Formats: sequence, structure tokens, C-alpha cells
Amino acid sequence: MNIFFLALLLIGVGGTQALATFRLYSLMKAGAVLAIIAGCSFGAYDAAARLLQHAEPVIYNHSWLHIFTFSLKIDAVSAFFLVPVFAIPAVGALYSFQYLHDAKRAAGTAINYFFYALLIISMALVVCANNLISFALAWELMSVSSFFLVIYDVHKKATRGAGYIYFIFTQAGALFIFAGFGFLYSHTGTFGFEALASIPDSAKLIAFILILIGCGSKAGIMPLHIWLPYAHPAAPSHVSAVMSGVMIKMGIYGIVRFYLLLEPTSVVFGQIVIVLGISSGILGVVYAIGKQDIKKMLAYSSVENIGIILLGLGVGMLGAASGNKTMAAFGFAGGLLHVFNHSIFKSLLFMGAGSVLHQTKTGASNELGGLMKTMPVTGRSLLIGSISISGLPPFNGFISEFLIYYGAIHGLSLHGASFVLSALAIIALAVIGALAGAAFTKFIGVVFLGEPRTDKAAKASEAGILMGTALSVLAASCLIIGVWPYHFVQAAFLVTQAIPLVSDYTTAEFMPLMTNISRTAALFILLFIIVTVLRKIFYIGKEVTKSGTWGCGFTQPTVRMQYTGTSYADSIVDFFRPFIRVQKNYSGINKIFPGKTTYSSHTHDTSEIGLNIFVVRPVLYLLSKLRWIQHGNIQLYIGYIVLAIVVMLIFL
Amino acid sequence: MDFTFSFTSFLSFLVAFTLAPLFMGVILKVKAFFGGKQGPPWLIKYYTLIKLLRKGSVYSTSTTFIFKLGPIISFVTAFMLLLFFPFAGLPPVLSFHGDVVVLFYLLGLGRFFTVLAALDTASPFEGMGAAREVFFSALAEATIFVILALFFRLSGSLSFAEYFSGDQFVNLWSQSAALIFLVLIALFIVLLTENSRVPVDDPATHLELTMIHEVMILDHSGPDLALIEMGAFCKMLFYSAFISCLLYPFHTGSALYNVLVFNIIMALIYAGVGLVESITARYKMDMVPNFILTSFALVFFATILTMEFVQ
Repeated sequence: MNIFFLALLLIGVGGTQALATFRLYSLMKAGAVLAIIAGCSFGAYDAAARLLQHAEPVIYNHSWLHIFTFSLKIDAVSAFFLVPVFAIPAVGALYSFQYLHDAKRAAGTAINYFFYALLIISMALVVCANNLISFALAWELMSVSSFFLVIYDVHKKATRGAGYIYFIFTQAGALFIFAGFGFLYSHTGTFGFEALASIPDSAKLIAFILILIGCGSKAGIMPLHIWLPYAHPAAPSHVSAVMSGVMIKMGIYGIVRFYLLLEPTSVVFGQIVIVLGISSGILGVVYAIGKQDIKKMLAYSSVENIGIILLGLGVGMLGAASGNKTMAAFGFAGGLLHVFNHSIFKSLLFMGAGSVLHQTKTGASNELGGLMKTMPVTGRSLLIGSISISGLPPFNGFISEFLIYYGAIHGLSLHGASFVLSALAIIALAVIGALAGAAFTKFIGVVFLGEPRTDKAAKASEAGILMGTALSVLAASCLIIGVWPYHFVQAAFLVTQAIPLVSDYTTAEFMPLMTNISRTAALFILLFIIVTVLRKIFYIGKEVTKSGTWGCGFTQPTVRMQYTGTSYADSIVDFFRPFIRVQKNYSGINKIFPGKTTYSSHTHDTSEIGLNIFVVRPVLYLLSKLRWIQHGNIQLYIGYIVLAIVVMLIFL
Repeated sequence: MDFTFSFTSFLSFLVAFTLAPLFMGVILKVKAFFGGKQGPPWLIKYYTLIKLLRKGSVYSTSTTFIFKLGPIISFVTAFMLLLFFPFAGLPPVLSFHGDVVVLFYLLGLGRFFTVLAALDTASPFEGMGAAREVFFSALAEATIFVILALFFRLSGSLSFAEYFSGDQFVNLWSQSAALIFLVLIALFIVLLTENSRVPVDDPATHLELTMIHEVMILDHSGPDLALIEMGAFCKMLFYSAFISCLLYPFHTGSALYNVLVFNIIMALIYAGVGLVESITARYKMDMVPNFILTSFALVFFATILTMEFVQ
């Protein structure tokens, strides 16, 4: 526990000293970055060591004014989540040194580092919280600090709007969580976690659904995901990397933790989670294909990956409830490992998108193109990130998706609804995987390949060396986990032992599987090298010339004729039409000698439209009727307070 | 991983790999027959490969290293499939429980790079082909994974070697013949889709706008194109072999007899592809998703049937 507190202290010092020394811009940045990286390294090392050495859980209690006890506990589940909580922000801090480069905004940058540090600390506290109050406090601290990180560019109207939407979603979500906590407290009469397993089954379901909604709005489950495509593009890129890579996983942590604490036995829990996973996964990736702003697209891809994680967890829950050990262990392990993997490749992709944004000043993919030649480090790292997030071997995304497949396939031996849901989970995973491939070939193809579509893209140059280093570190991790998955899978399986059904599950079943996958990956790399060498040999002494692309007979192509992201996505988006609305404005050709024609298209989020009509408007209407309460008379406000106290005294 | 270092496994793999271009000649011969022509020689695809390997290449100035990676990766991934497949019921070179998932994802990796290589050229035609390829293959992917789910339900196996051996084999002559029949139709549709054959795609058309796969490789030439072609032969061979192993129970009987039957069935499947190509036209692009979804509906129906069927 001491190393844990030392890590938090270092991170805190790093963030706070920035506020004091912001006049010395570069020094302030260097100090903050170094302290945060040092603290995070201690924290990540401690958590990883705990996990791999099967350390006993440690508990820390501190009572405050006899009102409540602040309690922390690091067990296997916490340690597993602590690794990305510390590791990813460390890389993000390294990246931020060159990303935040405007010395005129020294104070803003210092505040950014302060809240960045606070966000890391609060996330670490969330995953270690050991009673309801500690969890709620850490959760709120996390929401508030991330809110201030989002509104870094506060002078932009779009950013303020995004911050507002984020704040509403995060607070509404917190309300659901607190409602769930209140409900639990009313059954157990204590803030402690220990008594939760003993409450009646129907109460468990209600509490779980409340927490699922609250945590789901943080995680970005469809249809509670609306804040993601607003907040991520608005936030600085290292912040969106940490928020999308790590912070939204706190929602997943909440779901996992309370599932484990409640120890439910009904299959309904797993069924709900699988259905949510299918809808988030498929719709998330379809929207990712439809969106042309690179950071918006990545935000929707986070929704998709949350869907995959939920599929894994849901399969695990279904397996645990049906007594199918393989299904329970593999489902949970796959979901948890995907949490870890996604934190790596999504932060890689967000930081890479940030580099593109930083060097070209635009995030619209249809204005980019050809960056692979001018930004080779960024391009190659993002290529690896894109393969990984599409779940393709030999990279890490495949490993976690394989575990989920394996669990879901073993669910096929069940009967009735559980069988159908297992089959649907498999189909959903296959479709998500293929569509993710479509989304990320679009991302790489339109942004990095082909010819630059505008001057901005043509004049781009490689981003700073520290930014490149941060990307390369993450890209290398993707390959390492993909080829040598053993220890990472083992760690995920250790966490699953918290489930009573699989507590005695040995490593015997997954060990040969992982060896086989790692050998297949090695075989692929070996064959790849052999064929590359053979190809080289075939080209020895041959004539190799350069020429323009074959234009199918057309000799005067321009860069504007290239396929854009919009046209690439069109047929897929069209296929999912009832769930995704595309507004097309086309002036048409109506004269023999047509004048200037225009075309524009815009992808609308159906959940946003639905939420607007069915929730926002009725609530606004209702509240506008209550406007008279707010009149600005202080005497009357004091009257309200007195009245409230009297009413409470009478009734309580 | 079961690593069968037996002579027969390697031999069967090598024979299958070398025969792949010959089978493609069958399609051309059947099409020529229906067209009332003599057609190209049987060994035409070997000649093409040799010709391509002897040439140099022209690279577009728009392209990057990805353009050269595309052919290599699409070939290696398709080639790896053959290592895991039990041709004519003989044990494959490599096999493990769960290999099917890995292999279909490896095919996905090959597709990923083929598509990127197409986008790398900055050609609008190749972009169009790429967009169609990712869309249609996403639909076919759903069918394939339902088939894997169904086979697990029927036999509890998760690898090609397990499907076609032991007591729990999946085959048209087993007790679940009705379901396998549906799978066969679906798999033939997937074969046509994944290998860009009529009625999904027409490899022989003259207009780039109407192509899917061929238009994506327009700019490749020389040994690069040869790699792509060989990859395509391997992929076609794999899907046909998959279908033939479902059609005939190869796990019984003598090996030599099986090899003979296997090759005859393979030739018939290729002839079937040629027949379809001769008597139907390519669908309009917006009809293709419906065609592929038909295969999905068939296998999904078969999977639902198992709820009562296998208890």
C-alpha cells in the first residue's frame, strides 16, 4: 500500500507544482511530466507485481470525524484495473510535453496538468474504493477533474458546449449510481461492501440496473454514449486518450465490481449485458464508419469496443449463472483483457489523431490524405493501432476477442434463451470485427494513404520526437501482447477467480490455447519474412519503374477525384438506415450546361434525436413551468430553507 | 498445437497447393464450353504465374510501402489456411482446438491489407472496389461464424481437423444431413462472394466501374500480382475443399481412394462455379447484399433448428 500512496503523492506533487511554477513554461511542463511519469511508473509496477505474484489483498482505513470511513482495498480486480490507470496516463504525459506548446496559455496548461494529475489519482481511488461512500467520492472527483480537462479550449464555443453535455451526462449518471447506492443502503444499513451479497434477488436486479445505467453513461453504452463524440474531439488529444482509453473503463469497473459484490445467480444479468453489448458494438462501429471527423470516429469506435467488452462480461455472467465454467472464465477474461488492450490501442489512436490535428490543423478526414509519406512514424504507429483495434492477428485486439469467442462458443451447449444469446453474441462479434476493419481501413486509407486532398495535408510534417516516442511505445505493446499473450491472459484469468464458480479454475485450459495462438502468430511472421525475402529475390535485376496511378484511360486525374471517406462509407451506412440517419443535400444537375453543383452529407445520431424528443424537451417543458420558484428574492430563499428544515424535522 | 510431421500430411498439402492453379483452369474450360469456344489450355494459370514472375513492376508515385505489403500479406494468410486444412481427410500439417477462429481472422488481415493497398493508389476506382469488398465481406463473415457455431453445436469441435474426423464428424452423410445441406448452399454462396465470382463480382468484365476485387489490384504488376493470384488460388481451393469435405465422408476408407474421390469432387465444384458463371449474369450492386444475406438466413435457420434437434 505504501508504494501506492507514494505513487499518488508523486502524481499529486507533479500536478500541484505546475500551478506554482507556470511562469517558467518549459520547466513547469518538464516538472509535471517527470513527476507524473515517475509516480505512474511506481503505481503501475506495484499493481502489476501484485497481480503476477498473487499478492493477498491489502486494506487501508481512515475514519473521518466518525461520520464515515474512507476505505481502500487492493485486490486482484483493483490491481488489474490499476495497471492501465497508471500506465496509459504516463504515456499521455510524455506525449503532452510537445503537444501543449502554446507558451501564451501557460496558466491554462498548468491547470490542465493539475486536473490531469487529479484525474489519475481519482481513477486510482475509484478502483480501490472499498465502501459505497469512498466509491462515490472518488467517482465524483473523477467526473469533475475530467470535466475541467475537457474544457481546456474554453474560449471556443464548441468546447464549452461539449463540456456542458459531458457534465450533464456525468452528473445524471452519478445520480443513477447514487440512487443504486441508496437502494443498497436501505437493504443493508451499512456503507460497507461486505453485506451486499446477502440482499434479496429482486433487490439485486434493481440495484444492478441502476448502477448499470450510471456506469453505462460513463462507459458510453449505446444509447447513453452521446457525450463521447462531443467531449473527445473538444478535449486535448492526450486527455481524450486517457479519457477514452482509461476513464470510460471506470464504468466497466463499476459494473464488474458490483456484479462481483452482489453475487447474483440469475441469468437475467448476463442477458441484459449481452443485449447492451450487441447494440453498442454494432451501432457504435456503424457510426464510426459514418463519421468523417477523425476524433468523432474514434469516439464512436470506443462505443463499439465497450460493446465488445460488455459482450465478454455478459457471456461470462451467463456462464456463471448457468454453471458453465469455460464460458464464465473465458467470457470474463476476454472482456477484462479487452479493457486492457483497448486502453492501449485507443490511447494510441487518439494521440496519433492528435498528432495529425496538431500538424495539419484539421480533423476532417476528407481534407487529409497522403500523410504516410510526410508523417511516417505517426502513420506506421496508427497502422498498427488500426490493425489491433480491428481485432486482427497477430496483434493484441485479437487475443481478447478470441477469448470472448471461445467463451461464447462454449455457451452454445446451453438451452433456450441462453443458447440464442450465445449465438447472437458470436454473430455480433463477427460483424463488429468485419465492420471495424471497414472503419479502420477507411481511417488509414483516407487520412494516411493516397494523395493529400488539401494544402493543409500536403504541407504536414512529422510531429515532435516525444509524441512519436509515445506512439511507438504503445504500438510496440500491441504487437508484444499479440505475439506473447501468455502473462496478460494469465492476469485476466486471475481476476476471474473472484467469481465463486471459477475460483478453482486452473490455468490448464487456456495455457495450451495461448501457446498455440502465439505459435500461429510466430508462424505468420516467419512466413511473412520468407515471402518478403523471396519477393526481393524475384525483383533482382528486374526493371522497376515509377509512374502515375492507372486512371482507367482517364489521363488528367486530380486529387479531388479520390474516393472520400463519405463515399467509402456510403453503402454500409445505407444498409443500417433505420438506425443511422444520413442527411444529404445535393443541388442536382438540371440544365444542359450545369452550373456549380454542391453536395454535402451529415450523419445524425438516432439516439441523440430520440433523447432530444423524448427526454430533453419534456424535461425542459416541465421545468419551464416551475420557473416561478426562482425569482431572485433572498428573503424567500431563506424561507425555503426554513420550510425544508421544518418539514424534515416533522417527517424524519 | 498438433504438429503432424508426417510425410502424407506434407505431401497432401504440397499437392493441393500445386494443383490450385490447375483447378482454376477447369472454370475457364467450362465457360469456354458454354461459349462454344475451345478455351485456353488447362495449364493457363501456371503460364500466367510464370509470365508474371519473370516481369518487373511499375509502381504508382502515389503509393507507399503498404502497396507492397498488400500482396505479401494476402498471400501468406491464404497460404496458412492450407496448412491447417485436412485435404481428402488426411491429417493437416498443423491443427489445434480453436484454429478456425484464428484462420478466418487471418483471412481478415489479408483483406485489410488488400483494401489498404487499393486505397494507397489514390485511384477512385480502386477506392470504389475497396468499399464494396469490405461491405460484402462483412456480411459473409456473419455467415461463416454462424457455420462455426453450428458445427460446434453439432460436433463440439473447433478446428478443421476435428470437423472431419472422429465420431462427431460433420458431413452430409451424418444424422444431421438436413442441416448440412443448408450449410452447403450457404457455403457455396460464401465461396462465390469471397472469391469474387459471378453473380457477386465478374472477374472477366471489361469495365472497372463494375468490378470489386479485380479493380482493387489494377495497379499491381509482375511478381506482386503473381503473389495476389496465388493467394486467390489458395483461398478458392480452401473454400472448395471445405465444401467437398462436407459432401463426402473422407475419414473412412483407404487414403488413395479418398484422394481420387476428393479430386473428382473438387473438379466438380470448380465446374459448378464455371457453370454458374456461364448461365447467370452479375447481380446489380444493390442486389448483392440480399444474395449474401440469403446464405446467412439459411445457416441461422439451421442453427435455430438444432435447438430441438440436438439435445
